[in-house]
Amino acid sequence: MKYLGKIRLGVAVISIIYILIPLIVIIPASFTSANYPSFPAQGFSFQWYTMLLDRPEFIEALWNSVKFAVLAAFFSVLFGTLGALALAKYDIPGKSYITSILTAPLSVPQLVLGIALLIYFTPMMLSGTSTGFLIAHTVICIPYVIRLVLTGLSGFDYNLERAAAILGAGPATVFWKVTLPLIRPAIISGGLFAFLTSFDNVTISLFMVSSDMRTLPIEIFSQMQDSYNPLVASVSSVVIFISVILIVILEKLQGVGKAFGGSH
Amino acid sequence: MEPIRNYVNEEVKNQPPIVDVPKRVKKRKKKKTWVPGLLLLTPILLFVFGFFIVPMLYILYLSFIVTDDVGATDAVYSFQNYIQFFTDSYYLSSLWITVKISLYTVGLCLFLAYPVALTMAKSSPRVRGYIALLIASPLLVSIVVRNFGWYLLLLPNGTINQLLIDLGLITAPLELLFSEIGVIIGLSNAYLPFMILAIATSLYNIDPSLEKASAILGASPLRNFFSVTLPLSLPGIVSGCVLVFSLSMSSYVTPALMGGANVPMMPVVAYDQINNLLRWTFGSAISYVLLATTLITVIAVTRGFELSKFKEVFR
Repeated sequence: MKYLGKIRLGVAVISIIYILIPLIVIIPASFTSANYPSFPAQGFSFQWYTMLLDRPEFIEALWNSVKFAVLAAFFSVLFGTLGALALAKYDIPGKSYITSILTAPLSVPQLVLGIALLIYFTPMMLSGTSTGFLIAHTVICIPYVIRLVLTGLSGFDYNLERAAAILGAGPATVFWKVTLPLIRPAIISGGLFAFLTSFDNVTISLFMVSSDMRTLPIEIFSQMQDSYNPLVASVSSVVIFISVILIVILEKLQGVGKAFGGSH
Repeated sequence: MEPIRNYVNEEVKNQPPIVDVPKRVKKRKKKKTWVPGLLLLTPILLFVFGFFIVPMLYILYLSFIVTDDVGATDAVYSFQNYIQFFTDSYYLSSLWITVKISLYTVGLCLFLAYPVALTMAKSSPRVRGYIALLIASPLLVSIVVRNFGWYLLLLPNGTINQLLIDLGLITAPLELLFSEIGVIIGLSNAYLPFMILAIATSLYNIDPSLEKASAILGASPLRNFFSVTLPLSLPGIVSGCVLVFSLSMSSYVTPALMGGANVPMMPVVAYDQINNLLRWTFGSAISYVLLATTLITVIAVTRGFELSKFKEVFR
């Protein structure tokens, strides 16, 4: 009977390694001195990082990714926080239906949503434009913001708002000095989650990009389909680096596991 | 005590109502409060309606039109797109491959996830947090990056083949990439965290005294697991399986990169129809076949469990 616990622990360790291994092999592979990607790497050099600087399409793609992720996070946080505040605070009829409509983009496959938006945007002259791209990314970020801010508001004490109002604060002062500071961690987590959702996205982006506007995941995707050189390893390492920084912040604020747990 | 309480109640009841304040205030308050709430909701509702609901309904409408030119006036309404899908063996086999690979992915995820979830349930909250961080963090790294890691591992001259050859287990490299195995590995790697978190959540809710009770009554750890823990964690297993199944069914990037043209799953076929062949109405129909297949399977499985002998567990 003692073996059972050991077998369980053994499989558990294997599973966790299985989840992490594709990310673990990339970083050493990016320092290879050979001209093909491999793990374990052959030799050690920074050549694929210095070469990256000579490839304007990657720099441009990285800039696009960051820019659209920031904008998508901004708009989804703006709309999402207002919406979540309304849902948490007011007795709106059909509240549960509204919440499920607002989080529905999460349960529709991104491929189907991408197809729908491409077809819908084309007659509106929005397909392949920055506006279309931004709208599509905001749609998929909104559910996360709604959910995280609603969770943040679930323990909110409305007496604090009432107290401030009684003491003579106007509605705007109450919002900026009381409500906002209290739900700030939830809003920041929502924003970071939205940023990463947009920054990482491939499926929706594939339908929205044009030849002169591409993002980093799209660049990696097409490089992998054509030929795979170690450049992809160094670009991927950069993506991992950016993600890890944001994950550390998210973990401090909210707990990454919590953000996914109870979801879906 | 009794008579006094009755007396008081009687006394209160007999008093004439002073003013019917509560009712009126409540009514007025309700009316007043949800109007500003609706104003706050308006931007997001308009956005989601305009850029999610309407486009989704628009392609549903398009899927019933037969024409290659969407704006054409000679559009004919018919089920032709759906009939074409279900009578062509290429599309049918693509649907079958998609379901098959998704089921394998669910099975592999379930096998790998349960021990982790069980370990999490038996650990202290702090260790739980660390495990959750380890398994959930990769979800926040782009799927193309994770697939590239598998490229390095699965290529014919990649790490795994090299290792197996060095160990003398195989002589020629295995076809791991651009095959169904590659897709199953990629998908199960991507969605395993969801399965773990779903099962762990249901394990946390099990009352520990139940396991103690069954142990006191003489059940062996194995018996305890199969008669107490496993049935009680069924809701988590079902929701994890349903989630991994629907994610696998509709995943595009992993089949495209890990399977390529060798594994024509439905999303790859739909993408091809839309982006390369520009057959929008047919592509829309494929999208809805995909949605409907997933939805019907999910509902059937969930309802099946809710009506089974384990229905008590599902409340």
